[in-house]
Amino acid sequence: MEQLANPDQREEKRNLDDGRTWFSTPAAWVGLILLGGGGAVAFFSEDRLQRFLQSYLFAYTFFLTLALGALFFVLISHLTRAGWSVTLRRLAEDLAVCLWLSALLFVPIILGLGHLYEWARPEIVANDALLQEKEAYLNVPFFILRWVFYFTVWIGLAHYFYRLSGQQDETGDPALTLRMERLSAPGMLLFSLTITFASFDLLMSLDAHWFSTIFGVYFFSGMVASFFALLALLVIVIQRFGILEQSVTVEHLHDLGKLTFGFIVFWAYIAFSQYMLIWYANLPEETGWYERRQEGAWMWASLVLLVGHFFVPFLFLMSKHIKRRKGLLAAGACWVLLMHAFDLYWIIMPQKHFGEAGRIPFHPFDVVCMAGFALLFFAAGRDAMRRRCLIPQRDPRLAEALAFENES
Amino acid sequence: MDESGAKEHVDRGEFPGHRTASGVLAEFETPADLVRAAVRVREAGYRRWDAHTPFPIHGLDRAMGIKDTALGWIVLGGGIFGCLLGLWMQWWTNAVDYPFIISGKPLWSLPANIPIIFELTILFSALSAFFGMLILNGLPKHHHWAFSEDRFSRVTSDRYFISIEASDSNFDIEESRALLESAGSVGAKVVWEREHEDKLGSDNDGD
Amino acid sequence: MSVEAFNVTSDDPTRRAPLVLGDHDFESITDTVCGVVEKPKPPVAWYIAFTISSLFALLFFVLLAYLFGVGIGVWGVQNPVGWGFAIVNFVFWVGIGHAGTLISAILFLFRQKWRTGINRAAEAMTIFAVICALIFPAIHIGRWWMPYYMIPYPNQMGMWPNFRSPLLWDVFAVGTYFTVSLVFWYMGMIPDLASLRDRAQTRTRQVIYGILAVGWRGSQRHWHRYERAYLLLAALATPLVLSVHSVVSMDFAVSILPGWHTTIFPPYFVAGAIFSGFAMVATLLIPARQWFGLKDFITLRHLENMAKIILATGSIVGYAYSVEFFMAWYSGSAIEQFTFLNRSLGPYMWAYWIMVFCNVVVPQAFWIKRIRCNVWLMWCLCILVNVGMWFERFVIVVSSLANDFLPSSWDYYTPTFVDLGMLAGSFGIFFSLFLLFCRYLPMIAIAEVKRTMPQADPHYHSAAIGVED
Repeated sequence: MEQLANPDQREEKRNLDDGRTWFSTPAAWVGLILLGGGGAVAFFSEDRLQRFLQSYLFAYTFFLTLALGALFFVLISHLTRAGWSVTLRRLAEDLAVCLWLSALLFVPIILGLGHLYEWARPEIVANDALLQEKEAYLNVPFFILRWVFYFTVWIGLAHYFYRLSGQQDETGDPALTLRMERLSAPGMLLFSLTITFASFDLLMSLDAHWFSTIFGVYFFSGMVASFFALLALLVIVIQRFGILEQSVTVEHLHDLGKLTFGFIVFWAYIAFSQYMLIWYANLPEETGWYERRQEGAWMWASLVLLVGHFFVPFLFLMSKHIKRRKGLLAAGACWVLLMHAFDLYWIIMPQKHFGEAGRIPFHPFDVVCMAGFALLFFAAGRDAMRRRCLIPQRDPRLAEALAFENES
Repeated sequence: MDESGAKEHVDRGEFPGHRTASGVLAEFETPADLVRAAVRVREAGYRRWDAHTPFPIHGLDRAMGIKDTALGWIVLGGGIFGCLLGLWMQWWTNAVDYPFIISGKPLWSLPANIPIIFELTILFSALSAFFGMLILNGLPKHHHWAFSEDRFSRVTSDRYFISIEASDSNFDIEESRALLESAGSVGAKVVWEREHEDKLGSDNDGD
Repeated sequence: MSVEAFNVTSDDPTRRAPLVLGDHDFESITDTVCGVVEKPKPPVAWYIAFTISSLFALLFFVLLAYLFGVGIGVWGVQNPVGWGFAIVNFVFWVGIGHAGTLISAILFLFRQKWRTGINRAAEAMTIFAVICALIFPAIHIGRWWMPYYMIPYPNQMGMWPNFRSPLLWDVFAVGTYFTVSLVFWYMGMIPDLASLRDRAQTRTRQVIYGILAVGWRGSQRHWHRYERAYLLLAALATPLVLSVHSVVSMDFAVSILPGWHTTIFPPYFVAGAIFSGFAMVATLLIPARQWFGLKDFITLRHLENMAKIILATGSIVGYAYSVEFFMAWYSGSAIEQFTFLNRSLGPYMWAYWIMVFCNVVVPQAFWIKRIRCNVWLMWCLCILVNVGMWFERFVIVVSSLANDFLPSSWDYYTPTFVDLGMLAGSFGIFFSLFLLFCRYLPMIAIAEVKRTMPQADPHYHSAAIGVED
């Protein structure tokens, strides 16, 4: 395989440096203004603050899951010593370091905890025996402490891989790969535990009475499926600027399509397992969660989720010919991302304390927050990417990735 | 692929009236030689010919110009059939023909029917993949003329062969053999049809 | 660690460790693998192992006759614990049966080429494990002469099975799994059976292997469809593997019994199944590679990779235990909390801690490369994993049933000698079948191994051959 891939001989644009740092990108400023403006409007009309925070949490979780999905991809690539994905790994490294932005943007959630979570309101806890029992876990200081820990782990891991991979660009030392592989195994262990409890804290405890042991896996499955869709989309967009056109081929896109497809099926499996077991056993402490999502307009939303998050991408991405055409794959990826956002919306919004049952509470804040987060993350991701080559150009397995071909 | 087709070409045989050629079988030593020769045979315009290898060789499909198989569509059909069968069976038996309420579930409980629908989808898809493959390949097959050649028993070990059927319209004993020899074969032989083809699988004289 | 071990399992990122060791060419691979079957006599160890295992299999059938004669009262099942050893053994064996199809399907889709050394034996093991598994529910129904009631066929009573019952889902799931695994295993074997046919020295062998090889002649046109069928079967078997143990887990999880009803059961059971399946594959292959001289194909690297998968899935199982425990507390439900405390500190705590030790603590040893590369130590650890996974099912089945909602109906379950004998006997059936497989069928996927070798690439000898379309 060696003769096929001599990376130094290839003429290809692999960098997108335009000299702009994060804070000199207009996107960052517009994003900040959107979020800040929205927050200010909400803050000064007291009754809307909760609604704004719901939208904020929704958009926040969406981008958090994408960044965590990127971290997962970096970890799993090293853990399995993958060769085919080397040319894609740098993009994931760059997205994963955006977790610093997630950490920063977590502050408003902490400030608004009482508006989002019933367990954070002493007056409600005082009248709720179940919440009192859970107080050892669900209390504000411990919540903050846990999130400090989660972010320490995530940002620590993301930076470790970002830094070592960058060093390898300069030194070409294969020992760095070995070091990254060594950390990936304990890293994966920490990652799985932290995302599980993060999903309990951020989403499951919105309904503090409800519990489901599979919830962490559910969170993970949606996260990974949408990350693969994002990566495919990102590659296709970047290639339109004439970058990475040779090092990331249609074979890689085909594989990203397969992985998106696979994790969509995995999501459906996990979602069905959770639903079916709760439906079948029909215990009052569990079914309430699904019942709220089957009332009034939410029934339609649940059906849209079922069809849109599973059947549509399942049938669309099944064909090899679709996965190998950039335009079609990009369309599929956009759809998967849209549905992932919808999945989170479906989890977050129908809460008893968020208002009337059976009504889908669309609000302009949803769009404002999504746009604000999108711009901020765009600026942050771009900043991470412009600092160095978009592929790990001296990775010892680069040749394997460049020569990679699907067998059928 | 059809032995009886060879009868049309009796006249082209070396000993008309005595023996009928089944085809030409050429042996190659490496995958590279085989792929090179396959390109030559295809370019010479042959249609009823084949390569025989101990394992699938990367790039040989393309060299031979093999068209993509329709197996995927057969499997899709099998899957849809299994899916509909599972859905219909559970609906008809439990909700229509023999309705009774159990564990407070609706007579037609779709969530509880998903597992069996899924299993039957997989079952029928998998069976159509397997039997579809066999049928498209014309297997099981009692005998093929290439088995008459002793050297051919190494095709399942470490040798590579190209066979050109006598029923191919371009077939000519001398020309076809010459083509394969010039294409790098270590031995191209004409295989003659036999009077009694009663042996199963390979032609092996050991007893 | 020896120098040889280091070279084979090298972690050097600049190169990939070889999959086949020694100076093998294609012919010598065929010779070595077919040689196992063609030798007039198997090694002495085979005879010893086969004698012991067939005696245990015989024990199983004797006890089966006793069970059929007397009834299931000879088992230890009683009123709260209506699902005793039979169901524990069923879940255990189905779980073991997951590694084969995982290796042949999932690792295939993930392009893990090292799977070619072990997939054939693992698939065979899958079939035999599922056979062992199927026996238990069939005899557990009590009226063992009427299991056909589970099959939906039009009958004079005008009745149909209840498709809303998870027990019926099991019939379809395990039945489908058995059929598809068998098809997959057999299809993968066709080219190798053709090798055996072409090398046959006796008429009997020629006829039998000839029939089994369905006239395979290595045609590239056939290979083309064969490979597509293989890919499709892999793509179908992957969700199937996940579904089978998920459905088995639903036998428990759809109920309202604390300790059974928990939503993580499906993926948790699947991870456990893969965990125990891999441990069993290692348990079988470590002696087999030694006895039949297959160390060049089932190398240290293969075993090391298996150890890593055991570590990974063991950690997932540990994750599930922890999440279950946490959620029992977090649910705030008194009965859930009691169930988990009772498991870990109650009358069955011995079983619980054997389970935790064997399934969570033991595989952690595989973090150390020295242990992963020490074949016989790995073998011992894998046996412990098998023990642990049997106890996991015991803990789930028995501890939840023995102490349910109503304290007045609590009881302590004790197995009888028939229970223990049938468990031991099922191992006898399993090992006997596996030993027969080693003797009469190709243990290694010859064609697939050849394909992963560098010589199989047409570009191997000369770089440019000019294949252009």
